[in-house]
Amino acid sequence: MSADFIQLLVGGILLGGIYGLAAFGLSITFGVLNVLNLAHGEFLMLGSLLSYGIFVGLGINPFIAAILVIPVFMLLGLGFYLLLLKPIMDRPPHELLVASILVTLGASLFIEDVTAFFWERPVTGISYSLPPMELAGVVISSTRLLILFFIFALAGGMQFYLKKTYIGKSIRAIVQGREGAKVVGIPISRVSALAFSIGMALAASAGAFYVTLFTVTPVMGIPLTIKYLCVVVLGGLGSIVGSVFGGLILGVAETLTAYYCGAEWSPTIAFILLILILIIKPEGLFGAKK
Amino acid sequence: MNRRRKKLFLPVVLLLCAILAALPWLGFSYGIVWIFLLAVYFTLALSYDIVGGYMGYMNLGHSTFFGLGAYSTAILLNQGFNLFAALLAALLLTAVFAAVISYPLFRLRGAYFALATFGLISLVEVLTTNFRELTGGSGGISTPPGNHMLPSYYLVLAVAGGTMLLSQIVARSKFGLALFSIREDEEVARAFGVPTTLYKGLALVISSAPASLVGGIYAWNMTYISPNSVFGLEIALSPIIMAMLGGTGIMIGPLVGAVFITLVQEFLWTKVPYFHLAMYGTVLVLIGLFMPGGIVRTRWVKPVIQWLGLGEAVDYFKSGDAERIP
Repeated sequence: MSADFIQLLVGGILLGGIYGLAAFGLSITFGVLNVLNLAHGEFLMLGSLLSYGIFVGLGINPFIAAILVIPVFMLLGLGFYLLLLKPIMDRPPHELLVASILVTLGASLFIEDVTAFFWERPVTGISYSLPPMELAGVVISSTRLLILFFIFALAGGMQFYLKKTYIGKSIRAIVQGREGAKVVGIPISRVSALAFSIGMALAASAGAFYVTLFTVTPVMGIPLTIKYLCVVVLGGLGSIVGSVFGGLILGVAETLTAYYCGAEWSPTIAFILLILILIIKPEGLFGAKK
Repeated sequence: MNRRRKKLFLPVVLLLCAILAALPWLGFSYGIVWIFLLAVYFTLALSYDIVGGYMGYMNLGHSTFFGLGAYSTAILLNQGFNLFAALLAALLLTAVFAAVISYPLFRLRGAYFALATFGLISLVEVLTTNFRELTGGSGGISTPPGNHMLPSYYLVLAVAGGTMLLSQIVARSKFGLALFSIREDEEVARAFGVPTTLYKGLALVISSAPASLVGGIYAWNMTYISPNSVFGLEIALSPIIMAMLGGTGIMIGPLVGAVFITLVQEFLWTKVPYFHLAMYGTVLVLIGLFMPGGIVRTRWVKPVIQWLGLGEAVDYFKSGDAERIP
């Protein structure tokens, strides 16, 4: 295990944590609404741009910016749900599927194009760094470690919220069975709206971490959404813990591919992983077997 | 009434064919280019509809087949193959690709399938860019130069006609009925003895063939293609938007959608240079929210389609999409 390899591993885990956090949000929204939100990646992009704006415009620490974007995007998510998704929610399954793909894909194209118009130059990371530290002979950037810590704290907090609180439990109840949840008196529509806005907020805060490390461009939304899909399928459909692990796997795989095969191959690895998992274990790593 | 329509049908079709065939000799050179592109998009929309409309699996990556056909034809033409040999080889290659990729992809359903096929385009695009020796990388590839507008106009019209025939044959066959049953309820279809896995793969292969052919003809006519021009968002989304806007699962739908969208592009794109993608996006959202059955199933158009005798499939959506429009 060379020092290079450990550096790569840390970088990969970090990227994976960001993927996992956003995919976690996608997983919740899909589980509760039964709608795959194709505009999910756009919200990560918008979250990155907003936190970048907060950092540059107001000079606020990016970690605080990451927390500031959460309420903003919860409101945005609520608006998105009420305006675009609620009107189609009571259609029969096949029509809901078609309509939801059209609406979320259309919204995604719209957001991408308008953002690209107003934001011409790509944003190349936030110049924010803490002194690096040395661990067992390997130099690791402490900014990265701090981000990693934040991501796991957020994911852990989410898990706690879903397991222990009343609303969290009702979200999980809807994921397990919509009809059953309705029968025991859970207000489906209100909890759905909340779950959707939580999903958006998770994507946006993942975006705030993304911008501290990587380049953000307005056109990255759809490719990112496809990566989340790979992550969610990798972890197992409907498994929320699985999506975090799937994110870690994809992050490490992408980083290693970029290092050993060249950066131009790293976009392919997500899809290759998707194909592999579909052939070998279609229910995903943590998915329940049918 | 019905007999009168049948009597009218053949002459009208023949007249239309004659007009289209005579158009190049009447001096509408811009019209030829326009109809060429319209026919390319229409063929893509119609062949998409075999999987997307008949079977109910939204294949957002349909343009992968178009791009593969274009690239294989271009490469083979540069090797000195004759056009028809190159087109045929490209067709076979794309069909094999569709058959192979159908195995893992059809393990997904619904929105997951749609997103995965969408990812397929970018995968093939990255592969095309990376295999520089074969494909010329991101710089694109040129085919032997020459003015092929006239022959490719006729070729594309022939392919479009063939696709209409193919779509009609599929819709009226037992195989087509099986596809409709998969769309309505896959579990029930399987329980009734429909070999769903085989038929889903077969439908994808059938729908890949016309896309590959028009891709090849497009490459031959344009004499230059790049990863962005054949795997880009515009070529990926326009046919699907056309099929959805016109109405899926019915042959007249993609035609209405294709004519409508190309007309809008003609008059709007030249005036407004920005926000093309945003406009596509808005159209998608509006279709999704207000017009799930497409133009041909709206209250005003549906009776016309039915009167023309083109409308058996208008009623396929039992839930009556059209009635829901306020």
